[in-house]
Parts: sequence; structure tokens; C-alpha cells
Amino acid sequence: MTTQTQTADPRADELLAVRCQLGERAAFDMLIERWHEPLWRYLRQFAHSDDLARDLAQDTWVRVLRGIATLREPAKLRPWLFGIARRVAMDRLRAAYAQPQAGDENLDDLAATDAAAEFEEDFANVEASLAALPAREREALTLFYLRELSLAEIAELTGAPPGTIKSRLFRARRLLRQELESKGAIS
Amino acid sequence: MNTPQDSMTMIRNLARGELSTKARLGYVALLLAATGMSVVIVSLWLTEPVLSLRTQLAFGAMSAIGVSWIALSLWALSTRRVLFARDRVIAGRMAVTFTSIFLTGALAAVFAGGGGAAFGALATGAVMLAAALWVLAGAKRKFAALAARRAALESELA
Repeated sequence: MTTQTQTADPRADELLAVRCQLGERAAFDMLIERWHEPLWRYLRQFAHSDDLARDLAQDTWVRVLRGIATLREPAKLRPWLFGIARRVAMDRLRAAYAQPQAGDENLDDLAATDAAAEFEEDFANVEASLAALPAREREALTLFYLRELSLAEIAELTGAPPGTIKSRLFRARRLLRQELESKGAIS
Repeated sequence: MNTPQDSMTMIRNLARGELSTKARLGYVALLLAATGMSVVIVSLWLTEPVLSLRTQLAFGAMSAIGVSWIALSLWALSTRRVLFARDRVIAGRMAVTFTSIFLTGALAAVFAGGGGAAFGALATGAVMLAAALWVLAGAKRKFAALAARRAALESELA
């Protein structure tokens, strides 16, 4: 799993978006080079096959190329890209997401159990365990830790309150821990 | 084509088609031409004193065609071929050039005794030129703002 975005300066993303808005063709090549794989991997979570992920990525890029000229806040390129990818996936897979999921209670008051740090280092090696998580928890975990979106940004692009996202992250970390323990990856 | 790396080439090819400047400016040219044609036809239609029903129907049909082309080009430019800052400046210059030519032609028609239709085209042409100048000024401001932001970011990241 790529980790190239984790260390990137957010201003580099803004610069890329601004250059695209100016109409620089080379900037679009860089945009694709930089973001295609993370978007593809994000979309792969929603898809049952690589072929479907490829189709979703293609639809996502069409919307990105047609919409980036009107992106109001180039500094928010990252959540904007994943927001589009998510909408594309939801449009295609709406039926699968139509059922409300129990347990989305708001846990704003929940004490932050930041066991996240210990997970973060190992994330590159636990893609298989991630795949076993429920879709919403997997998505929250991926966006928060692998794509470095903030709780507010994830809430904005998923349409769920920040407290719900925090709840999903809490549950996702617990499920991931169980998954890793069952595989003997951690004790 | 089953990995993100494999599909990268496909996405790049897709981008080349989506980002075609020729297609963008083609729609701008279509919009300008359709607008000019529609203005002339509607001016003639509204100012000619005596027109047979058949001629009126013909003017109506041509006006509808012109409006359809305008709607199509506006739809394409707002959803499919959205103009980037650089394209908007070029489009603004195209609009100013086109409307200036149109206005000159209308002025010549007025001096040649073109009647009410020429005056109608002249007035509409003046409004179109003013609008084109306004669009061009806005496009230049937007381009300058983005270019300044790019320079600032490049300086910060250097």
C-alpha cells in the first residue's frame, strides 16, 4: 500500500490544484501520477473486483478533470478528491449502502483512546486485515490514517457527523486489533 | 489492466481527451457564432414590417436553432469542457474580437441604410461587446490571482 501521501506537504497539493486551475497540462500529469493509486486503492474497498475499481477510478477522474477548474479551495484538494471518489462509489453501489448500520452512535464524549499511534506504523503491512473490516469502518480508518484526512474532512465527505466518524474509528481500531490478534500478528 | 499502475496509462489517455484545448475553444467559437447569428435573425424578424406567415415561421425556426446551439455550448462549457483560467482569458479575447467585428458590421449596416434591423443589431452588439470586455477583465483577474498564488506557494516550498 502506498504511503507517499503521508509525508507530503499539503501546500504541494494546493500548488498542484492551482496549476491545474491555471490550465497547465503538465500539472494534470502530476496530479494523476500522484493521486491515481491512492484513489484506486480507496475505491478498491468498495469494489468487488479490480475491474470494477478501474471503472470507478475512471469515472472519478472524469469528474475530477471536469470539476477542478471550479474547485473553490485548492488547499482542500485531498478531501475533494476522495469526496468525488466516494460519491462515484456510492452512486454505483447505492444499493449496498442503503441499509443503515446499527452502532453509529455519536461517541463525542468518549475518551479518546489513542492506540492509533501504535497501529499507524504497521498499516502498510495490514491491508489484508483491513479488507476484513466492515466497509464503513474500513473507509474511516483508511481516510484517517492512510490518507491523513482530518475528522472534519472525513465527516464532510461522508456526510456523517464528526462524532460518528470518531465512533467508527474507535470501532475500526478495535476490530482491526481483533483481526490482527486472530492472525497472530500481535498478541 | 488490473492494477493501479496498469490503469494509469488509461487515465492519462482519458485526460488528454478531456483536457483538449481545441474542444474547449471550439465550444466558445460555437457560442459566439450562434449568438451572432441569433441576434441578426431576431433583429430582422422583429423589425421587418411585413412578413408572410411562411417567412415568420422560417425566422422562428432559425432562431430556435440558434438558441439551441447557444444552450448546447453553454451546457458543454459548464459541465463537460469547463474552461481553465488560461482558456478563459483566450475565450474572453475571442469574445471581444468577435463582438467588435459584429459591432463594426452592424455600424456599417446602419450607415448603409439597413433600417431597424441594423439598429437592433447595433444596440445588441454594443451590449455584447460590453459583456465580452467584462468577461475578459474577470478572466484576467482570476488568472492573475491564481498565478500570484502559484508563485507564493512555489516560493514557500522552495
